[in-house]
Amino acid sequence: MNISPTNLSPISSEIMPARMSYREALAAAMREALTRHDHTVIIGQGATDFKGIFGTITGLHREFPGRVIETPLSEDAATGVCIGAALNGLYPINTHIRADFGLLAINQLVNMAAKQKYMFGGLFSVPMMVRLVIGRSWGQGAQHSQSLQSLFAHIPGLVVLMPSTPESIVRSYAHAVAHHAGPVLVLEHRLMYELVFDTAMHPPVTNPFGSHIQRVGKDVTIVATSIMVLEALRASANLARYGIDCEIIDLHSISHPDREMIMTSVAKTGKLLVADTSWLAYGVAAEVCRIVAESDPGVLKAPVVTLGMAPAPCPTAKALEDLYYPNLRDLMSAIVRLVRGADDPAIEMPSEHSMSDFYKKFRGPF
Amino acid sequence: MIAGVARYKEMFRQALRIRLVEEKIIELYPSDKIQSPVHLSIGQEAVAVGVCEHLRREDLVFITYRGHAFYLAKGGSMPQMMAELYGRRNGMSQGKAGSMHLAAPDVGVMGASAVVGSTISVAVGAALAARLKKKDQISVVCYGDGATEQGTYHEALNFASLYQLPCLFLCENNGLAVHATLAERQSYKIAEHARVYGLETIRIEDGWDFTKVGDVCGEVLKAIRGDGRPRVIEVLTCRYKEHVGPGEDYAAGYRSHAEVQAWMAKDPLCTDTALVQALRPALDAEIDEAVAFAEAGAMPGIDDLLTDVL
Repeated sequence: MNISPTNLSPISSEIMPARMSYREALAAAMREALTRHDHTVIIGQGATDFKGIFGTITGLHREFPGRVIETPLSEDAATGVCIGAALNGLYPINTHIRADFGLLAINQLVNMAAKQKYMFGGLFSVPMMVRLVIGRSWGQGAQHSQSLQSLFAHIPGLVVLMPSTPESIVRSYAHAVAHHAGPVLVLEHRLMYELVFDTAMHPPVTNPFGSHIQRVGKDVTIVATSIMVLEALRASANLARYGIDCEIIDLHSISHPDREMIMTSVAKTGKLLVADTSWLAYGVAAEVCRIVAESDPGVLKAPVVTLGMAPAPCPTAKALEDLYYPNLRDLMSAIVRLVRGADDPAIEMPSEHSMSDFYKKFRGPF
Repeated sequence: MIAGVARYKEMFRQALRIRLVEEKIIELYPSDKIQSPVHLSIGQEAVAVGVCEHLRREDLVFITYRGHAFYLAKGGSMPQMMAELYGRRNGMSQGKAGSMHLAAPDVGVMGASAVVGSTISVAVGAALAARLKKKDQISVVCYGDGATEQGTYHEALNFASLYQLPCLFLCENNGLAVHATLAERQSYKIAEHARVYGLETIRIEDGWDFTKVGDVCGEVLKAIRGDGRPRVIEVLTCRYKEHVGPGEDYAAGYRSHAEVQAWMAKDPLCTDTALVQALRPALDAEIDEAVAFAEAGAMPGIDDLLTDVL
């Protein structure tokens, strides 16, 4: 796979206006896929219902008759159907309103989709996308909120992405449909859906399937995924007032992280913090550490710090859930200790609010 | 289609060709030149030959890891298959597939999976694409009786029936899943059960009879081409050899040798020895050429290890 930067043409303001929510970017990406590519179909549970995968494909089944397909509650078969459709000339986009449901399709994803090209020596390819929504908001509990990126990124043959901005969505989804003839899994974070982005505030995406530098700094490298990129940006903005200058790498490509970008940054800052949305063991944090340990561990001036979910299934009670995920205060404290070597009482810390209190723009169960 | 005796001879020749290829594999196996588990179709050739009689080049067949028969019957290249078993670069998948993952997309042989039942929904998806792309094409999925115990089989039948997709579910029922008999595994009857999904289902008991299989499949495929709706065929058949490997394992005691012998007594490839003698020289020559092709193939190497991953 080519993960080197490519020459990208500008995105029209019709597709990506100056202010745009994560959900609107997803909706734009889905509409673009159906409009530009006749062979694209969307297949999933709730694909044709009035909620339309949290408003990302609502009404498209009427606009594109026969190309937005409801499925029975059969994740395994629906994934197999997508693979077969891809083998026979379609580009299927398979949706799961909870990433957890994707586990029912793991045989098709791991044994079939990931291996169709290699196992047959290049005779087949399965161009398809699987959209997995990380359901975290409040009270979603153990089976509706999991971040399963490392599970999938472990498997050769899969491209696993976690977009954190509207441009990242628009770019990477368009690239997947038009240019990548293999299975692409995208993990979208439910908490970001209604967040409105000032699109010009984020550096332009130069590599749709690559990692992105979201903030240039000199004191510490923060490698973050998904919503943790936004948390890192918030933490960095606060800490900049105290002279702490963070560099933030939006890892984005979980399966094919930009090793050179990570190493160049860590060589500059000497300090690394990894902030992932998932468990730490055998995950993104472990993988980023592997990259540094294998490439040049000597660049580190302090032990690596990692932040992620507590090593347990996700509890439902809000009181426990707030302890389960790191909040902004945890992140800022970790950065301060890493950069300054100890807590700094001069730095004002935010109150202990959970991320879901800050980001959640919707009420109710979904 | 050719009629009468000529048709019988041609189907016989195709079935014999498959059997002789597999007998050659048995002969070669002790040499360890074929370092790939082989699941032999010997005893089941008539099913593949009967179904493929009525399939067009553009029709798709999703085969299983016991796939030599369907691969050859649908028109897959014999030399490339042999080279694939040898793990050579001139195999159709440059040695990355082996016996369990045969494929020949140019003649509609879609890749075999070694995970039971996992191609069933994939075939349904191919039929969905055929429908949406307005292709005149049938998607056939072969699976064994064991696959019907997988949840994905039920999901796929439901999906195909719900969307009325042009596919043929073809169950090769040899009564065994590895060493477990039907009675040990199933609380239902395969054909009866499939009808619950509103699918027209036909059961063929004389699975040794390629002309009979061909006749029934011809009618069913014609019906699918006519109305684009899915159908199910269950064919009873008999695996003569062990589940995997070149040997026989009647001594293991999990099945009766007498039952297999009764089946062989009806199998034209066993009984029509005169026709075997007449056809054999030409087939042996073709097989020897395929083996020579495999033997001459280069080994894949480091340059191949990481190609075609993404």
